[in-house]
Amino acid sequence: MTTEKGSASAADEPMVVDDFVALTYHDRLPPETVRFADGLIAGRIIGQRCPQCRRVYVGGKGFCAMCVVVMGPESEIDVADVGVVTGYTIITPVRYYGQTKTEPFVYASVLLDGASSVLGGQEITGIAIDAVREGLRVRAVWKPPEARNYEGHSTRGWGSLAGGIVGFEWTGEPDVPREQYKEFAV
Amino acid sequence: MTEQHDDRHVVTTTLEFPYRRSLGPVIGGFARALAEERIVGVRTQAGDVLVPPTEHDPRTGESVRDGFVDVGPAGEVQSWTWVSEPTERHPIRRPFAFALIRLDGADTALVHAVDAEAIEVMRTGLRVVPMWRAERTGRITDIECFVPAGLEG
Amino acid sequence: MPADDIAIVGWGQTPSVASTDLTEPQLCLAAVNDALAMANIDRHAIGFTCSGSCDYLSGGPFVFISNLEAAGAWPPISESHVEMDGAWALYEAWVRIQHGDIDFALVYGSGKSSPSDPALLFPQQLDPYYLEPLGLDPASLMGMQARALLDSGTATERDFAAVAARSRRAGAANPKAQTLPNGAGESDLDIDALLAAPYVRAPLRAHDLAPAADGAAAVVLATPAKARELTDHPVFIRGIDHRLEPHQPGVRDLADSPSTRLAAQKAGLGANGGGVGVAELYATSSAQELILRAALGLGPDVSVNPSGGALCSDPVMATGLVRIIEAAQRVADGTTRRAVAHAVNGQVLQHNLVCVLEGER
Repeated sequence: MTTEKGSASAADEPMVVDDFVALTYHDRLPPETVRFADGLIAGRIIGQRCPQCRRVYVGGKGFCAMCVVVMGPESEIDVADVGVVTGYTIITPVRYYGQTKTEPFVYASVLLDGASSVLGGQEITGIAIDAVREGLRVRAVWKPPEARNYEGHSTRGWGSLAGGIVGFEWTGEPDVPREQYKEFAV
Repeated sequence: MTEQHDDRHVVTTTLEFPYRRSLGPVIGGFARALAEERIVGVRTQAGDVLVPPTEHDPRTGESVRDGFVDVGPAGEVQSWTWVSEPTERHPIRRPFAFALIRLDGADTALVHAVDAEAIEVMRTGLRVVPMWRAERTGRITDIECFVPAGLEG
Repeated sequence: MPADDIAIVGWGQTPSVASTDLTEPQLCLAAVNDALAMANIDRHAIGFTCSGSCDYLSGGPFVFISNLEAAGAWPPISESHVEMDGAWALYEAWVRIQHGDIDFALVYGSGKSSPSDPALLFPQQLDPYYLEPLGLDPASLMGMQARALLDSGTATERDFAAVAARSRRAGAANPKAQTLPNGAGESDLDIDALLAAPYVRAPLRAHDLAPAADGAAAVVLATPAKARELTDHPVFIRGIDHRLEPHQPGVRDLADSPSTRLAAQKAGLGANGGGVGVAELYATSSAQELILRAALGLGPDVSVNPSGGALCSDPVMATGLVRIIEAAQRVADGTTRRAVAHAVNGQVLQHNLVCVLEGER
């Protein structure tokens, strides 16, 4: 908390102060997230299938937001660690508080085989960033088992893969026709 | 910023908000005076002196008059509470009082800390004086705290 | 134009606990589903949804959007949100249903206080120039307010403890409230035991201060015609109003609550408590209950906080809505024909809402 020096006597100048606010939270992870996190450490990606509409959510919230019915452990199934890029953007970092990146990078949405919800904000490797495109087949790049942990999980979002997966790489396979994923594309 | 705990089911997150604020003429004037080791208020259209100053009379919503009025620096405790275990955000790290203090010449009360050493010293009506920080930046914390009159220095 | 007597036809609340590992949307889901089940209507019959919560309480940006999923927001619904206690969401829904084009409105309030320390978090609700830099916490503000009440000569610390003892005894019988020690007795000895505890913010002790909790509550409002179709015992909102005092505590008389008095007058409570049998008051300190009783003119014959009130459980952002639910419950079950519920927002009774409830005339 500081004030611009010298402004205190210049009565006509607007007085400007910096105020740095830091708020700390200790969250107990919800049961769905704990099972999802443990799954990643074991090399599994767990989805929750709605008993009503059969949609499969990766990073399930414990209920289906479309049908408003509860999804518990009995609704959980494994989904594949391969999928398709349904949308992406290339971010050129600008300097702002908390930004650590300096080079352009890809943020992609990935629909895993067997899932009905996309995972946003995924990094894509194994291909030049200007070659990333919708329909790209990608596979999860797993951390070595000993390096897997609870990273990225919180009560502020669902479905972080950071505890087990560093990103996705192009499989080299032909692109997936848009017909097959258009329901989930942006 | 997120860190892991020994209990891996507990995640600690600190959200940080770097704000920059323009204080405007009224609060800015109060802040400038603090930096000069003075406390000022503003006068409402009805003539009451508001300390801390606000842009409007809270009773009528009318703009306050231009200009500032020097008040204090001594004042009287209107109400108080004893904080036996201060938090990390409090201005004093040993047991102290928060008090509503009506400074001499003011018609409203300012909240600040009173370093009274013991709860037995505190009472409504107690005369207090400000202790100033050596380095002042135009913040309310330029006043380190108030102390019972006669115990300053 | 006089307002229609909108009815409360369903409600639900989660148990309020010191800490839950369920997410806020999950808490909302449980409360909303209970309220809809009690009202016996399908969620698609709801014409307007309004919620009350506070993102920085649990530190999740746009938590209120996640919470909305618990209400069922697809196909798209008409909704609104207030960064206030759920009681203010009820007020907005009450206004909305007066338009006459919808039959039902859904209201919910929710909050998780457990992820943070209220003493460190709540200075952030105060102005950033004069109060927040001091780290002024809610309990310290309540301590100064309680001292002002003592200095006014209308209450003693023993009166504070008696409020706490009565609240704990009532709360011990409420399955939705937290279980607190000294929950059984209100004898002189029990009060002596409370007074032997150390001060937290003198003159207030731990039992004088509401324990923040995690929880959610939901209410279904209906037009009078729909209410009479659904139930033989509708609970009507006869009046509701809210009034606000200035932010700076130093310009207020903290020992009084003129905004509560004015809101009660505008809500049609009437003089001397308006003949209510039950009052549910959102007091976050025992001293505040005494201030509110005086402002509302409640006599000793009125049952105050038979639920245990916020002094047993304070699921912040839902607590005010819970007061309306608890009052409605006592009208519905015949405990009283007329009840008053009070909710508060801001610090030390800055902003007060009064809601008058009645059964069929």
